[in-house]
Amino acid sequence: MTTLAQPSQPVQSRASRQRELWRRFRKTWPGYLFISPAGLLITVFSYIAIIFSLYISFHQYDIISEARPFEGLENYTRALSDKLVRISFRNTFIYVIVIVPSITIISLLLAVLGNQVRRGRALFRTVFFIPTITPIVVTSMLWVWLYEPTGGINRLLEMINIEGPNWLFNPATALPAIMIMTIWGAVGYYMIIFLAGLAEIPEVFYEAAKVDGAGRWHTFWSITIPLLRNSLIFAFVTLTIAAFQVFTQVFIMTQGGPMNSTQTVQMVVYHYAFQRFEMGYASAISWLLFGVIFFFSALQLKLFISRELY
Amino acid sequence: MARTLSDPGGGAREQNRLLLVATKRSFTIIVYALLIALAFSMIFPYLWMLANSFKSRTDFFTNPYSVIPMPPTLSTYYDALTIGRMGVYLGNSILYAAAVLIVQLLIDSLAAYSFARVDFPGRETLFLAVLATLMLPGSVTLIPTFLIAHGLGLTNSFTGVVLPGFAGAFGIFLLRQFFLNIPRELEDAARIDGSGFFGTYWRIMLPLAKPAMVTLGVFIFLNEWSSFVWPLIILSDWKKYPVTVGIALFRDVNQINWPAVFAGSTIVSFPIVILFVLAQEYIIGGISLSGLKG
Repeated sequence: MTTLAQPSQPVQSRASRQRELWRRFRKTWPGYLFISPAGLLITVFSYIAIIFSLYISFHQYDIISEARPFEGLENYTRALSDKLVRISFRNTFIYVIVIVPSITIISLLLAVLGNQVRRGRALFRTVFFIPTITPIVVTSMLWVWLYEPTGGINRLLEMINIEGPNWLFNPATALPAIMIMTIWGAVGYYMIIFLAGLAEIPEVFYEAAKVDGAGRWHTFWSITIPLLRNSLIFAFVTLTIAAFQVFTQVFIMTQGGPMNSTQTVQMVVYHYAFQRFEMGYASAISWLLFGVIFFFSALQLKLFISRELY
Repeated sequence: MARTLSDPGGGAREQNRLLLVATKRSFTIIVYALLIALAFSMIFPYLWMLANSFKSRTDFFTNPYSVIPMPPTLSTYYDALTIGRMGVYLGNSILYAAAVLIVQLLIDSLAAYSFARVDFPGRETLFLAVLATLMLPGSVTLIPTFLIAHGLGLTNSFTGVVLPGFAGAFGIFLLRQFFLNIPRELEDAARIDGSGFFGTYWRIMLPLAKPAMVTLGVFIFLNEWSSFVWPLIILSDWKKYPVTVGIALFRDVNQINWPAVFAGSTIVSFPIVILFVLAQEYIIGGISLSGLKG
């Protein structure tokens, strides 16, 4: 009825558009064939996976028993009152708050300083990069050894007359120890990101600043930082997302101990999912973590993008 | 100050210039000192790893922090490969990394070529759907991926380890960007010569995309070689463990066999060092371009 009432022009054009689409499809259908292997894998391991994860987070789900009753928000309310979950979120927050700014600032300084030295720049870049390409398992094992009571770190401290603690077995120092190692291992990677960003800044800006008599410090704040904005955003956001999910270092170095002082959210998810086989409950915790990650990345992007720096 | 006043001419200016040069030079020295100290901190743990892997047990326990093994021995390597089962783990790691490397490069490049050049209906939407998965935290997909693999009967199997790594949204994105920058004339010429979509992809596009394929390949290899959490979860039989999980097992027992750990770690790091020496520019370039961690 409505179609009849309308002028004939759009009807025709819709029909011809459909014909056009069909013609395009007949010419380009191998395109679907080409993307189908990737499409199938991504559908199964990303889209179905995430829907499945949400589904089981509302159920009591283990892989052994067949009975998987719907529980509504039960898993979520249980997580909120679970002492282990609360400790793990607190530790993870501390971890994120310390390492994200530390890595960003140190690697930025390394890039700016490295950019100023003429001789050996490539060598420094290569050396700082070693921890980044070494598997985290290897680096963690090495640091377990360095953190031993009479290990390398404490021997260094002894040289300046400080008696080092038993790093990984003391609840007060275990998390800082893991954070120090992580910062040490990540700065080389972000240094390269910042070096690439610095290379993009046109030399004329620095020459103009020199003509205006701006000092090093002033130049850094009013030229380098604003023009490195994209690299800074990238570093901050990717670091935050990765830091919230920290797992391997903790798993190797402390297993969450001593006294849960290094228990992180991902460790707790692993514990419930693969040691106690409470898949539904563990999924609910992982969704809480996802919510936190999403909130903070959105917040960072909004802060960074809405604020005009120059 | 007083001297400057008494001598307002060239002497003061000369003095200022010298002062400026001096501050500049001391600044440079401080920068170098800082960078060198940091560089040492980055080298030494690995140097110790290497040195300790060649030490005999007694040498290690008496001089754990010397960098020259006295006398050098291969016994820890023998231990690591036999008692520590590193030989088995190493073989598995090579198998996993090779499979993921070859299959992912193929699947990613096919999809990327299609997204870049074949104008099929719904292309933009589907490409966005691929990109969107980059934002999913691995933490959320870990459990369902395990359950799906379990449902497919893939737990504790070779296929289970490698299958989820066979396609990568990042690789598709990277290669698509590269394909978009290849001049269309080259393909048109091939098309006129009678090549189909696949022929054009295989004979024209893939050879041209070699630099991007090498960059992506290096990252896929590094990623798979270092991968720990997934094999740890999906495998239950030590005969199938990759080296990363194998080394972590040394930590599991109460007494750590440190020399074997160092030998194992050196063995794991060896292919990476080779790769880094050969492909450093690709690695640095790849990170600079997009910031992907292997």
